[in-house]
Amino acid sequence: MQDTTFNEIADLALRYTGQAFKASKAYLMEARLSTISRREGFATLDDLAHCLRARPNPRFEKEIAAALTGKLTGFFGDRDLLERIVTHALPERLKQSKTGRLRVWCAGVSTGEEAYSLALRLSELTDTALASAEIEIIATDISDDCLATAKAGTYGHFEVQKGLSIHRLMKNFMRLESGQWEISQALRAPVTFKPHNLIEEAGGLGHFDIILCRNVLSDMTPNMRTKAAGHIAAQLLPGGLMFSSSTETLTGLVEGLNPSRDVRAAYARNGNDGAVEAA
Amino acid sequence: MKHCLIVDDSRVVRTVAGRIVKDLSFETSEAGDGAQALAQCREKMPDAILLDWNMPVMNGLDFLRALRREEGGKDPVILFCTNENDAEHIAEAIRSGANEYIMKPFDADIIESKFSEVGLI
Repeated sequence: MQDTTFNEIADLALRYTGQAFKASKAYLMEARLSTISRREGFATLDDLAHCLRARPNPRFEKEIAAALTGKLTGFFGDRDLLERIVTHALPERLKQSKTGRLRVWCAGVSTGEEAYSLALRLSELTDTALASAEIEIIATDISDDCLATAKAGTYGHFEVQKGLSIHRLMKNFMRLESGQWEISQALRAPVTFKPHNLIEEAGGLGHFDIILCRNVLSDMTPNMRTKAAGHIAAQLLPGGLMFSSSTETLTGLVEGLNPSRDVRAAYARNGNDGAVEAA
Repeated sequence: MKHCLIVDDSRVVRTVAGRIVKDLSFETSEAGDGAQALAQCREKMPDAILLDWNMPVMNGLDFLRALRREEGGKDPVILFCTNENDAEHIAEAIRSGANEYIMKPFDADIIESKFSEVGLI
């Protein structure tokens, strides 16, 4: 790949998703674009970049930017975090709720495993107040391809054997003739998938009791990370909690958003009123 | 160090699985069918057993049922590891006392995930 090609595609990623691409990650760029590039009949990324220069195509550019984002995901990818949400964060929110309805946002959900894992874990609750609460899970991603997989709810032999016990697999999935596994209707019901770019305002999604934002902000440039974190945190209800992955920190990114005193690795808004502003 | 017995009539599968399990800090031993496995368990009960289904002499399911009736035979954590991946086989294995079920083909991540599910690591 020529340097100009790398620079042009890296610049495209920055503009569309805020993603930072170091020159040392050129191999990652090639790997993530191989499917699109092949589908469109380009022999190399240089050809693809040449075509974009000759005929700018915002829709294709957006697709490329989406394909370049990280897809790291898996069922029960962060088991401890899910447990903290199900045993601490959501029950606390329910106590404060007047309606008995709670909303969760999985931001940057990739192919949907995180949202379905939460739905699955919640379905296992019995005899708790949370078991009878109405919990809506909104799961967003920038990639239409990922969202299509997430909505289809079918996963491969290798995906369903990582993170899921055989009991959970048998109870919640059906094996298709193709050898793929399809998630049950009961677990699909609480989850709604929507396209959303995290560097844009998220007012249209409404407000949330819990926001999960794992492994997405760390790929962004510092400026874009601050901007995206501000947009996401703005959708947090007063008293709501935002979670990142255990290797990321949100400290200092958004004014008024600070580590929770009650729940480990969670962030809460200060005070009970006023919008959260980007720092 | 925990001990895992790998039961499969394919030497290749035993070798591949053995390497993966050793990487998880287990000591390993091998058996080519259920009867050999049962004899080894009577000598020394392993902590975990990775168990194929279709094997000559004594198949995995018969071995599992026989082992669970032995003295100390309820202790080992048993993970089936087989090409039989339809719901009926899986349900039958669980009913007969298997703790987990790995569908072939497997890789190191699957074995690690399943070992973690049953609390071996």
